[in-house]
Amino acid sequence: MRTCRARITLLWLVAAAAAAPVAAQVPAQSGTAAAAVTSPAALFRDDVHARAGLTCASCHTSGKPPYGPIGRTAIAPLCATCHSNAEYMRKVNPQLRVDEYEQYLTSTHGKRMSAGETRVATCTDCHGAHGMRVVSDTRSPAAPQNVDKTCARCHSDHALMSAFGRDDNPPEDWNASVHAAAFRRGDMSAPTCTTCHRPHAGVAPGLASVTLVCAQCHVREAELFSKSPKKPIFDLLGQGGCMTCHSNHRIQKPSDAFIALEQPALCATCHNDQMRGADVIKSMRAGLQNLDGGIERASAVLDRAERAGMLVDDGRLVLHDAREEQILTRLNVHAFADKPFADTAAKGVADAARAEAIGAQALAELRYRRQGLAVATLLIIGFLATLWVKIRRLPKT
Amino acid sequence: MPVRTWLDERIPINAIEAAIEHKSVPRHRYSAFYFLGGMTLFFFLVQVVTGGLLLLYYRPSASEAYESVSFIMTRVPFGWLVRSIHAWSANLMIGAAFAHLFSVIYTHGYRRPRELTWLSGLLVFFITFAFGFSGYLLPWNELAFFATRVGTNMPGVLPGIGDHLVYFMRGGKDVTGATLTRFFGVHVAILPAITTVLLATHLLLVQYHGMSVPPSEETRVKRTGNPTPAMPFVPHFVLRDLFGWTLALALLAGMSAFLPWELGRKADLFAPAPAGIKPEWYFLWMFQALKYAPATLVGLSGELLVMVPVSLGALALLLLPFIDPDTPQSRRVIKVLATLALIFMAAMTALALVARPS
Repeated sequence: MRTCRARITLLWLVAAAAAAPVAAQVPAQSGTAAAAVTSPAALFRDDVHARAGLTCASCHTSGKPPYGPIGRTAIAPLCATCHSNAEYMRKVNPQLRVDEYEQYLTSTHGKRMSAGETRVATCTDCHGAHGMRVVSDTRSPAAPQNVDKTCARCHSDHALMSAFGRDDNPPEDWNASVHAAAFRRGDMSAPTCTTCHRPHAGVAPGLASVTLVCAQCHVREAELFSKSPKKPIFDLLGQGGCMTCHSNHRIQKPSDAFIALEQPALCATCHNDQMRGADVIKSMRAGLQNLDGGIERASAVLDRAERAGMLVDDGRLVLHDAREEQILTRLNVHAFADKPFADTAAKGVADAARAEAIGAQALAELRYRRQGLAVATLLIIGFLATLWVKIRRLPKT
Repeated sequence: MPVRTWLDERIPINAIEAAIEHKSVPRHRYSAFYFLGGMTLFFFLVQVVTGGLLLLYYRPSASEAYESVSFIMTRVPFGWLVRSIHAWSANLMIGAAFAHLFSVIYTHGYRRPRELTWLSGLLVFFITFAFGFSGYLLPWNELAFFATRVGTNMPGVLPGIGDHLVYFMRGGKDVTGATLTRFFGVHVAILPAITTVLLATHLLLVQYHGMSVPPSEETRVKRTGNPTPAMPFVPHFVLRDLFGWTLALALLAGMSAFLPWELGRKADLFAPAPAGIKPEWYFLWMFQALKYAPATLVGLSGELLVMVPVSLGALALLLLPFIDPDTPQSRRVIKVLATLALIFMAAMTALALVARPS
């Protein structure tokens, strides 16, 4: 039995060596997929398909063991024989979609592969070949935790991307973005590659549709922008909505400093002091600064009062309201107009002032207490001194 | 008829006055210890007064307790002062009670015929801890909630009755609003009632027997034939006591103004226990000892390994006047044991205070 297994392994190695020139053309495999070339039978034991009752022969339909590699152009159609068969999938996993292959055919990957370009991604490049796991399994290369690295295998490959006239920087840019930072902090709602680029119909959103993609999460911003005076101008100039200011992959944490007419503020990229809209930019800048300053002052006063032992829960609540208004105000920047920005900014400033007043009142109360204590201490010292004199004057017994 | 005469016909004022006039307090090198009992009593009286004021606004339910304490501290005039004094005074009272207890042990003031004075005093001392434990939960904040959960869990290790005891203390399986209501009732009704009886007994017995004189002073009197000097209770001792009480009042006011007692966050029954949960300082030594105890030893749980010696120690303390043969050797042994206990408690408390939250 052992001899038989050794022979099979040897034959696999021979077959893998024969397939090497083909493998060299395809994108670098993930750890799982690379291992599959050397030990597919072992990996397959832990494969989701094995658990569903499939065997080697289910995919390797021609020939006898040891099976050779399946041609790259044949992989997606082969997967589709089951994964596009609603009747079959209903029995195995009724929750799975059955239109992935159709979507894949509409994608850049699918179109090129159908045209015989084998360097583009197919099913096994993202999901692995043997030892395949469901996407919700964090060990799957297509899992949200790994998908950026899986995409980067090809999309950071300068030679490969140059061959297709593509940049090789989107993965690096995403890694430097606020989205990546949020994702690394454990925020699973933060977008990765497949959140904006649908995983199977992998087509880059066009300039016209990028706002719709961002709007999946940034609903209110997109709504304000679509009604703003900026929208028709951007459309006219052929600029891509959100990404005109925020870029597409290297999206930075928004800051109030974006809004100003001086470099390096974002607005200053296109606007100067003489242009139309400069007054709106200036008033927004002033509004944001006022609000931020008010919140900082209130926070400092409340902190001081709290450190001194005063209870300022009311002030904290009002400060929380001011911060909510600040979020809304920052969001309202996307209307590119005074309204509703000015309303929320004014409300936020008023709340911050109220919180500051509560903090100041607490500090005044603290001063009053300490003055009271000083008076009480003086009285007590006086009483103690009297007592001391009285005790000293008592006759010795 | 003059008021004095009218009163004297009904109350033996003249007799009481004569007794007070004749009452004296011995003067020797340990006389300062006599003030510790009075100091404890002063803090207790502060507790009664401030506790009564807090009762006017406090609401003993899980949904209102925290808010009512917050209301007292922010809205009620001088509420912050009353609450802070109540909290600080509770801690100082326990400190003074500790000092009083050890001073009596070191001066062997529990000896015949003061066995009942000792018993009543020691029971009041134990009740003081019950006051502290039950009062700690009342603001219904996060720290108190989790510390109470740990504290009430401890009797659960007692074989047979443990689970029933925990259920009885909590008013259910876990610490909930029912526990808060229960603790409130115990804190403001049951414990004060018992304390009043015990404290009255203790004070009456102290008056009846007078202040105890330490054996070293007794030996000196025997050796020299010179009686122990004494000072009149009124006004000499009373004025000195008043001096101490006034100082304590100044200390309380200063602490309340400069270190107001925190309220913390409201208890959340479903939140995980925050890091750094610790009981009040007077339970810290036991808390730390529990940490060092092995999980199990010869089939006994770590909690039981700590609780059994502590309970036996408490029992030995109660029976001290009856088990001490009152010989120079036994007195020396008791002093050594008391010193070891003090060192152990101080070391454990210090270790708990410097320990980083895990």
